[in-house]
Amino acid sequence: MNRPLEQDIRELLDVSVNRLVEEAQASGAKAIGYTCSYVPEPLIGVAGLVPVRLRAPGVAGTPLADTYLSSVICPYTRSLLEFALDGKLNPLDGWVHAGSCDHLRRFYDNLEYLVKPDFNHIIDLPHKSGAEALQWFVDELKQLALGLERHFGVEVGDQQLSDAINTHNQCVDLLTSIGELRKSNAPPITGTEFHTLVTASSVSPKKGMIKRIEKIKATLAGSQDIPKHRARLMLAGSQLDDPGYIGVIESMGGLVVADRLCFGTISGLDRIELNGDPITALARHYLTKASCPRMMENFRDRVKTLITTAKEYRVDGVVVQVMKFCDCWGVEANPLVKALRDAGFPVLRVEREYSLTGEEQLKTRIQAFLESIGK
Amino acid sequence: MKVSVNERGMVSRISDSAMRATYQAGNWMKLGLFGIRNGPVATLADLKKYPWMRNIFQSGKLLHTMTGTRTGPYAKANAIVISDIVTSILDMIRDMKKNPDTLVLHEDLVPPEILYGMGLTPWMTEFLGLALPLVNNTSMEPYIDAAENDGIPPDICSLVKSTIGLVLRNELPKPRAIVSSNMPCDGGMSSYTLIEKQLGVPIFRLDIPFDFYNERAITYFVGELKRMIAWLEETTPGRMDWDRMREVCEERNRFVELEVELWDLVRQKPAPMAGEPIYLSHLIYGICNPGRQRGTRMMERVIECAKELQKKGAGAIPNEKYRVVLWNPPTVVFPDLFVWAEQAYGVSMVMDMLTYNRHPFIDTSSPDSMLRGMAQVIMQGPMARHTRGPAENFFGDLFNLYEQFDLDMIWMAGHIGCKNTQALNGMLREKCRERNIPLLIIDYDLSDTRVVSPDDIRRQIEQFMETVMKAERLDGKGAGND
Repeated sequence: MNRPLEQDIRELLDVSVNRLVEEAQASGAKAIGYTCSYVPEPLIGVAGLVPVRLRAPGVAGTPLADTYLSSVICPYTRSLLEFALDGKLNPLDGWVHAGSCDHLRRFYDNLEYLVKPDFNHIIDLPHKSGAEALQWFVDELKQLALGLERHFGVEVGDQQLSDAINTHNQCVDLLTSIGELRKSNAPPITGTEFHTLVTASSVSPKKGMIKRIEKIKATLAGSQDIPKHRARLMLAGSQLDDPGYIGVIESMGGLVVADRLCFGTISGLDRIELNGDPITALARHYLTKASCPRMMENFRDRVKTLITTAKEYRVDGVVVQVMKFCDCWGVEANPLVKALRDAGFPVLRVEREYSLTGEEQLKTRIQAFLESIGK
Repeated sequence: MKVSVNERGMVSRISDSAMRATYQAGNWMKLGLFGIRNGPVATLADLKKYPWMRNIFQSGKLLHTMTGTRTGPYAKANAIVISDIVTSILDMIRDMKKNPDTLVLHEDLVPPEILYGMGLTPWMTEFLGLALPLVNNTSMEPYIDAAENDGIPPDICSLVKSTIGLVLRNELPKPRAIVSSNMPCDGGMSSYTLIEKQLGVPIFRLDIPFDFYNERAITYFVGELKRMIAWLEETTPGRMDWDRMREVCEERNRFVELEVELWDLVRQKPAPMAGEPIYLSHLIYGICNPGRQRGTRMMERVIECAKELQKKGAGAIPNEKYRVVLWNPPTVVFPDLFVWAEQAYGVSMVMDMLTYNRHPFIDTSSPDSMLRGMAQVIMQGPMARHTRGPAENFFGDLFNLYEQFDLDMIWMAGHIGCKNTQALNGMLREKCRERNIPLLIIDYDLSDTRVVSPDDIRRQIEQFMETVMKAERLDGKGAGND
């Protein structure tokens, strides 16, 4: 098969800080690592800065991190701390965190204690999205902007932010236009490929990625030779940055046509509406769009979005994947699964580690699920 | 006439037995009166609807556990506190049954003062998960199983699972409204999505900033409290009566003043009070049921007991060898932990994490000042201050109190489901090592003895005491021979 993704895009996911980031650094940009969807990526992507969403590809164990974080903490944060302690994240020039969950907050504490990065900022993120919370978040982003200006000598003014937001929008528009092709009966791109593209865009400088995505989009026009599938699935859950996981699902005939993942379509590919003050626009966007179970009041909205998406993409079933030890998703998955079933969607709930392990078990679960829904 | 040592011992034993019998009779009388006032048929129906109520009838066991081997004013202080626990639980049940229209479920770290001020009837959602294991340490296991069988991951805090289980089994009263927050942990916060859905009642959630030691955070949170009051006035028959609120806050201040006095007493060596009269009294009237005159009276009586010992230059425990803090949620599944540790090694538990917070007094001069005080109380409350904010909050408190109470070691109650604090244990070990502070991290589960049994907890302590502290057994028993 002649698939559209080039090897160079796949290679961008082999390491935490890839060659495109290194090239940007060589030209004088500073790489800012971040760990959560609630960090406004355009704010750390103004001219002179490169946002790098952090992953720990190929992590083979977390013995050092377990000593500090314990073994009952989310494996994503443990993997990141392991990489940080191993020096694999040393190329970063700074870190920006969001106080999103217990695990990421304690990751920040341990990073500060063990690694002491020169620039290590945590955003105090509200758990609600009303007017007062929005104002709080605006103030938080202003403090971050000031910190970036002082530490890195960059300018984070309205113009710079508007430019970064426009670049962000350009990138998500392109990705969305590709993602929407998955609504068709014979999508020209697999879930694995699409997730590779989205993930690569999150870990690489946007401008460099836009050219590559445009090129891929052009090649998709006549490409309809994806593997035959038995069912159309939606994949929902938290942090999933390894397209190989989707590859396992698709190897059993479950084509992933829609997703809600931290590195994914909902809500990572929403445009930022630039009305008025860019900082407020960013705050509003990130506080209201990136709906994770850590937001206390938005369960119904999250369910509604998933159901609407599942209908739009005509999925036959939903796979809810929950990373082990994640409290927010671990608890919310319970009412979520019930709500999706009540809406008529068959649901498979699976627990997983951060790194891709237990492939055969996953295959068995997917196979059984597909059979149970008559596919 | 001279009285010999043996005779004094005998008199003391008789006096202790009489005191125990008096309190035991008092507790039975309260239970009996509850049954009579409630009506036998209604009580039987309640026991069927709320099977956990049966555990309350085992309160005699708790009294025996806490006072059976303790003596004098220390035993009496324990009996006073246990008697108040029985009263508090029975009052909660009575109020819940009497006032269903004003019943509000509140999360454990959203204190009920404001609800009292509004004439509402509070029921702390997590109360049963905290209180019942004290009388029956396996009482929460059916509820934990119910939660896990419904799909809640086993690694979630067992207090959260206990509460979810109670809700899933319809064993919590249906309230008029719920108030919760983002404290103390993600598991607790998220559980309210499920609780709201299951109970089908409106909910208000308080949002507490991550880093709250600043004016901006206080202002934001005062706004949250105002919005909560407005919402409660719309949703329930409750109306804020600022005079009533002032009375509640002033009563709370009196209790805090007394508690600070108790702290001053226990700073002395040997400590004239220890263990449960310190931590259970705070749990009942500092956290679960604050602002009540009964709480103030109870604290006065505990202090009287401490002063009686202080006058004699005696400690609460006869042979205080070591002073310890129990950090993190207490080991409620092993309620007699300190009864045993006192006798085995002369360990005096003088402070714990739930009790140790800065107790700001509430300025009652105006509604705004009261709300501002309440905002600080909530944000700086136990666990809230330790599981929010940067790690400095957690370590700052711990090392401050280590000095303040002249401690010999730290026992970290390493509740397996408390991920927030599990993720600090590595730093804690190193920071204690730097300060030359002996540290024991006890592996246990807050509400589930099947994870770590009381015997296992005891063994961990024995190993630590004998290998690290080089302690001698005072009870003549060897490790593992209790």
